[in-house]
Amino acid sequence: MNRLNLPCPIIHHPGGCHDGILIGFFVGEENCNGRVLVVDDEADIRKVVRMTLQKAGHEVLEAENGEKAIETINSGENRLLLDVMICDIRMPKVNGIEAIAYFRQNYPRVPLIVLTGFPDTDMATSLLRQGVVDYLVKPVEGEKLKASVARAMEQRELAPL
Amino acid sequence: MKPVVPRQAEPGQGERTASPVSPLPAHKGSTRPMSTSRPLPAAPTKVAILGAGRGGTALLDLLHQIPAIEIVGISDRDPQAPGLQRARDLRIPVIEQIDDLLHNHHTQLVLDVTGDPAMDQRLRRAARPGVDILSGSASRVVWELVQHESALQAELLHAEKLAGIGSFAAGIAHDINNPLQLILGLAENLADETDLSTVHEHAREIIDAVKRTTAICRDLTSYARRSAAHQQSLAEVNTKLDEALKIARYAVGFQDIAVVKVYAPDTAVQGNPDELLHVFVNLITNAVQAMEQGGTLALRTAAEDTVVPIQVADTGCGIPPELFHEIFEPFFTTKPPGKGTGLGLYNIKHVIHQMHGTIAVTSDIGRGSTFTITLPRTTPV
Repeated sequence: MNRLNLPCPIIHHPGGCHDGILIGFFVGEENCNGRVLVVDDEADIRKVVRMTLQKAGHEVLEAENGEKAIETINSGENRLLLDVMICDIRMPKVNGIEAIAYFRQNYPRVPLIVLTGFPDTDMATSLLRQGVVDYLVKPVEGEKLKASVARAMEQRELAPL
Repeated sequence: MKPVVPRQAEPGQGERTASPVSPLPAHKGSTRPMSTSRPLPAAPTKVAILGAGRGGTALLDLLHQIPAIEIVGISDRDPQAPGLQRARDLRIPVIEQIDDLLHNHHTQLVLDVTGDPAMDQRLRRAARPGVDILSGSASRVVWELVQHESALQAELLHAEKLAGIGSFAAGIAHDINNPLQLILGLAENLADETDLSTVHEHAREIIDAVKRTTAICRDLTSYARRSAAHQQSLAEVNTKLDEALKIARYAVGFQDIAVVKVYAPDTAVQGNPDELLHVFVNLITNAVQAMEQGGTLALRTAAEDTVVPIQVADTGCGIPPELFHEIFEPFFTTKPPGKGTGLGLYNIKHVIHQMHGTIAVTSDIGRGSTFTITLPRTTPV
């Protein structure tokens, strides 16, 4: 798999600057393949996604809904250090659609992957048009999820600044 | 079991008023109890039923729901005939003497469903002028039509239920695919897991996830099944409300909806449990759909001496008063295409009338609606 290897420990890429907020590439520890935020209201889903991605060397953050995800990315160091976001659609408070619209507008360089329990062609089309890089339907195999995350990171890294 | 007659039932009236007699809190704000059908015509046709077997009972069940008809009485030579008890439940007079039925009570039409070939001649000799008599094959045709209508109602209820289940797809997919994702993720992890305690933990979690998934299938297949016609048994209202809440979660998202339950104990009613469940699923689904911005769904029951009042209340958009009558009419819907059949409240009204109950709605625009169903209470002997 092609991957742009980045030097450790941390790079803040100036191209990620948006409205005064710097979005950078995160490589926290040795062999870390980047930081992924998983947004899903079900703790079980967050747990298995974490398990799968951690094995692939990713650092995984969790948020239980869109509101928490926005809080997470806007608080502390996290707002600077997020490589990929995986987002469910059907969630309480701020749902996936609202959260994705917010992230696309405010953090356009963070690649978004949808991981949903309900396959909806119209919604998938609409989200992909909004720039979502992948639309995965649960249950998704670990290999497919890891490949999707890797692809999302490549797209982000190769995107024009 | 001892059925208890609802004390607010209006004897012999075609229309059952829906004014609630609930001890439950009325919906805050202005309240407008409503009747569930169009206003009574000025002069309903006064009908007497002769024969209280299957035919007479079927006629009672249908005709007492029609505002244009007033059943003035029913008679049968067998005091144990099932239709007589049904009539008492409905507060329809049981008349012992046929002549009394023919000459008094302002009877305009006698429906003879005794099956007795000699009855026609006897009635024609005894009846006062101006009283119409439907007997023999004519009354059999009426009975056939009644049975046909009853079968159509059952089909309509089932069709509406199945149409509604289509809207469950998103909820079902969510609730099945999530545990499947957990099972898949855990199983993949097990492939290279060496820690025995983690293996055991994952195995337990997989089993729990499978149980959750099978429970979903069990609930849904039970809900989707065709109700046995005229199936009557004891139904615990609180239990049915809880089941309905579970099913309604497939149909509508409960995001930002707080659920408040205030249940009284001993709320058993006599009726078709499947149909009652369908009524509650429908009312809860409507209530949640009325709260697009979130709100509170309140389910309340009470146990009075003779009735069980049940309230499904929301804090949603409310119903304009001018639509109060229309919402119970068939094919009336305010929902976008594909979201509602327009048969939900119509079927609810039918089921509740079959159970000798009433339904009322109060609403306040922008503050919410409360549907109150009052059913005859059944107490264990």
